[in-house]
Amino acid sequence: MKEEKLQAIIREIWPQLRKKHLYPEIPMPRIRSLRDAPEEEGEKGQGVGLEMKEKLMTINPLFISLMEGKMPEEKVMEALLDHGIAHYTFCPWDFQTHLMIYAEAKQVMGDKESAKQVANYFIDVIADTHCVKKKVTEIPELHRHLKKGTVQEVISSLCQKIWGIDLGVSASKSENRTHEEIVRRLARIPYLDRSRWSESIRKFARSLKPLILAEQREQKGKGGKGESNPQGKDDLDHYSYEEIDNGLREYARKTMGLSQFREVVEDFSEELKEAGYGAEGGMGRGRSTPIDADILFYMKLADNYSIPLRKIPLEKGGDLHPHSHSPWEVGSPYQDVDIWTSFGKIMPGVTQVWKKKQGKGREKIEGVPDCLIIIDSSGSMINPRKNLSYAVLGAACATNAYLRNDSKVAVYNFSDAPMGGRDILDFIDDREAIYKALCKYFGGGTALDLEDILPLVKKKSPPDLFIITDMKITNLEALIGFFGQIQNRITAVHIGENPYATRFEKAVEKRKNINIFKVKKKEDIPNIVLGSIREYFNPEDKRR
Amino acid sequence: MKSIHSPERTSSRCTDGDLHGPRNPFEEFQTFAFQKREIPLDQIVQSAEQVMDQIRLGYEKLLEEEAKELVWMVQYNTIIKAYEVAERYIKEIDYTAEDIEDFCFALENTQKIPYLIPGPAGIYISALCNYAKEGEIVLKLSELKTEINLIGFRLPKEKRLTVEGDTGDFTGISLEGGELVVEGNAKNWTGAGMRSGKIWVKKNIGLHTGEWMMGGEIYVGGRVRGLGNIVEGKVFERDKLVYPGKVRYPNQYY
Repeated sequence: MKEEKLQAIIREIWPQLRKKHLYPEIPMPRIRSLRDAPEEEGEKGQGVGLEMKEKLMTINPLFISLMEGKMPEEKVMEALLDHGIAHYTFCPWDFQTHLMIYAEAKQVMGDKESAKQVANYFIDVIADTHCVKKKVTEIPELHRHLKKGTVQEVISSLCQKIWGIDLGVSASKSENRTHEEIVRRLARIPYLDRSRWSESIRKFARSLKPLILAEQREQKGKGGKGESNPQGKDDLDHYSYEEIDNGLREYARKTMGLSQFREVVEDFSEELKEAGYGAEGGMGRGRSTPIDADILFYMKLADNYSIPLRKIPLEKGGDLHPHSHSPWEVGSPYQDVDIWTSFGKIMPGVTQVWKKKQGKGREKIEGVPDCLIIIDSSGSMINPRKNLSYAVLGAACATNAYLRNDSKVAVYNFSDAPMGGRDILDFIDDREAIYKALCKYFGGGTALDLEDILPLVKKKSPPDLFIITDMKITNLEALIGFFGQIQNRITAVHIGENPYATRFEKAVEKRKNINIFKVKKKEDIPNIVLGSIREYFNPEDKRR
Repeated sequence: MKSIHSPERTSSRCTDGDLHGPRNPFEEFQTFAFQKREIPLDQIVQSAEQVMDQIRLGYEKLLEEEAKELVWMVQYNTIIKAYEVAERYIKEIDYTAEDIEDFCFALENTQKIPYLIPGPAGIYISALCNYAKEGEIVLKLSELKTEINLIGFRLPKEKRLTVEGDTGDFTGISLEGGELVVEGNAKNWTGAGMRSGKIWVKKNIGLHTGEWMMGGEIYVGGRVRGLGNIVEGKVFERDKLVYPGKVRYPNQYY
């Protein structure tokens, strides 16, 4: 009965709340059924007022009961929901910002748990301050009645100071001069300036660090896990799968640092698995084996680059061709967007993507053959699991380009192949398996075994070849000779400049089916045009 | 967005719309009233920024004057001169200990301050500490990538400066009775020419420690890499008196 009454209150206040927060796209919150409450939560569970999962906010009726006599039910709910909505509309706003705040906090705090804790406090202060400044809210009243631990007491004292509202934290109460000093430091942070959040969280963490560490020590001594946040945990449950996917992609692009990315992904591995990230690494849902952060890094980074792939006439039983339109959604890839019907805009509700359909009958239609990626992982190449490897990133972009066109990719990863330093993956369309093969690092000498490559190249429909190396190959002459005999389209990418690369360039310059690209920095990657044959688009070149 | 419409006005419009034409589909948005509220945070942040601008300006002026010397050498005269210039600008600024810490971090932000010249920067920070209103100053600098040189220069009596993190060369030189606590390591020439006061270095200390020291005490929690030519004063290594003492010789590495 109580739950129904509370749900009725939500139905009544929700339209006003939506209006107050400028109509955020959030479903109507619900009241948690008392049957849903996990038994082990006990008294601690009563103290958490709000839960957020994939944009759905759930209010704990036990928390409302706890506030009975202190605040009217609808005011408690309004305050909780104001706080929850501000997380979606202001801070952290998106998954990438959340990761950034956490990563910066970890730099100061050193360990995962306290970094998460301090990041959550920071996010909460910002969300509440935003509401107090910009909206009419009951949040200060809620703060006044919340049960507080040492850190929460300091946070309330801070809020009292920066909001200019009495929250019932007296000077004598805020234990000693140390707390006052911390509050003084915290009060100087420009919480509402989004552009300075990365600098602000460091200062916030620096000031709060001694207090959080002391509290952790105290709780360890007591054998407990500490007070739960009454306004709910600010973890990754907030975000949808697509938001996480998008956020990871952006984070990989912005940091461009493998170790930084790996650290964050490993710290959030449980939450990411919960959200559906498993061995599939961004493709598919459901719990699975541990996340390979390195592979995920290259996947997300490669998603940021689009390499054009030139098609050739292929005899096929009907290719995929654009058939009808469907609406584009946030987080979906852009390559199938129809710019004409989307009015050149990327906006949900306006943008449309082509839905492709299989054609009928056998005919010569433009298509994309399969691709064999030959990647050098000898000692002269960067270990992709230690640092950002442009070779792997380039190969990953090529993989994406072929898979996107429904072709298959095979991998020949080599170091000293005749001595067994090689890994061969037959033509498949499993992105993760391909990335795994690409990320393998041998770190030995550099020699190809052409006997390994021959069966992969001699298929009924000849595949494209994509070779990425620094060209410091012991049997380079044999490779040049081999390339001279085959007619497959070859894209050769060399990392950096050296005499071997020059020799290779000279030897194959007259071959029309071989295109050479140089990658010195990441910006060079989009310049690679896979499988381009000069005469295919430029008959003049052929005549010459 | 900022315009405020009274509810009465909105409802009358609504009636008009019903009578005379199609209803405005954005009607609902018209009642939205944007409430901008000033909170103390705005004032605190704004005044902190203003103070930071003044401190930054003072530093830039000091650099301008010091830039006349092509190479900034740590020599007695150069330091005294730079300190006098710094004093001149700092005396006019009303700042707190937190502003000093913010300035230390701003020094690493090249967008805000184009040049970090370790000598003048250290002198300027020392002058800021010496003229601060607070008797006790804590600088949480453990995340700072640069170790600041010359910190604690001329720290006067009744001032206590605590630095969380490591410090560079010439820490606490010419100390004038103050107490300087370094929570991490200090490099070479620490306490050189100090007259009185105390320096605590929680971890290790470099070479030439206490060179031409005229008085005061230096306490080191870790190892002393080398002592300088000490005139007078005391140096302790892990609670053990190493100067004056027979075991240690000036500038010997151990």
